[in-house]
Amino acid sequence: MTAKNVPPGWDYNPAAWSQRLPIIILAILGFGIATYLALYQLEIFPTVWEPFFGDGSVTILNSPISHLLPIPDAALGAFGYLLDAVTGAVGGTRRWRSMPWIVIVFGLAVGPLGFVSVLLVVFQPVLFDSWCTLCLASAVISVVMIGPAMDEMLASLQYMKRVKDSDVSTWKAFWGLKSVNEKVK
Amino acid sequence: MWAQVINAILGIWLMAAPGVFGFDKPIDDNDHIIGPLIATFAVVAFWECTRVVRTYNIPLGAWLLLAPWVLGYENTLATVNDMGVGLLVIAFSLVKGKIENRYGGGWSAAWRDNTLHQREAQKQ
Repeated sequence: MTAKNVPPGWDYNPAAWSQRLPIIILAILGFGIATYLALYQLEIFPTVWEPFFGDGSVTILNSPISHLLPIPDAALGAFGYLLDAVTGAVGGTRRWRSMPWIVIVFGLAVGPLGFVSVLLVVFQPVLFDSWCTLCLASAVISVVMIGPAMDEMLASLQYMKRVKDSDVSTWKAFWGLKSVNEKVK
Repeated sequence: MWAQVINAILGIWLMAAPGVFGFDKPIDDNDHIIGPLIATFAVVAFWECTRVVRTYNIPLGAWLLLAPWVLGYENTLATVNDMGVGLLVIAFSLVKGKIENRYGGGWSAAWRDNTLHQREAQKQ
């Protein structure tokens, strides 16, 4: 971590790899679980692992809610985790100002994905009177990712505020065009 | 952070309580909805940058104090459990804990003027 990449008024760089790598690893883990559940929902795997709640996973993964959309909900979750991992990995350690758009897409991907998993956790017992172990594990992962992802988004939002107050184009700064790079601290 | 860890455990306990004690509707639904929300807000508040999210649990704790009366619980254990958890959640939500790092002035600094990150940027 080089000092020059620390945002003004901060004590560390939220875009440092030590900050981002744990989130990327969690996203890959979540992607693995969601993919496994999706393959069961697509009937490629005949059974699903459920150590604690008997028929719970079978009930939840075949529920009307899980098949509300054209693709099963776990497949959508897998896509969400993949988006988290990719947008978490793209860009160097000064990306909070060199490419704010990716940091903001990252924050927007992590936040709602976590929120949707919590919603699904509420649906399990309330609508179907069952629990699904791997669905809960996936929800825990997506909730744990929210907090550590938000600091980078905050650094980018503060940077965009400084851009707005300068005479540099907000549009160009948001997309991190080379012509505006380093013009705003 | 320890206070938010306790609130996360209280939220998970609320998710499990209807199964442990065999609560019926509407008690189990209430606990199954409020429990995950409390646990989620508490976990997000583990990190300094999002510690403010701890305050989202104050209205949820307040609801747990009211729920037995609003929803008409006919179960003393459930009433005591919800109100006890509600009171503890409110108390621990009020604990800010240590904030060791600076965050450029925090979330409001993304739209307010004359905040820490702006002043520091001008010095550079």
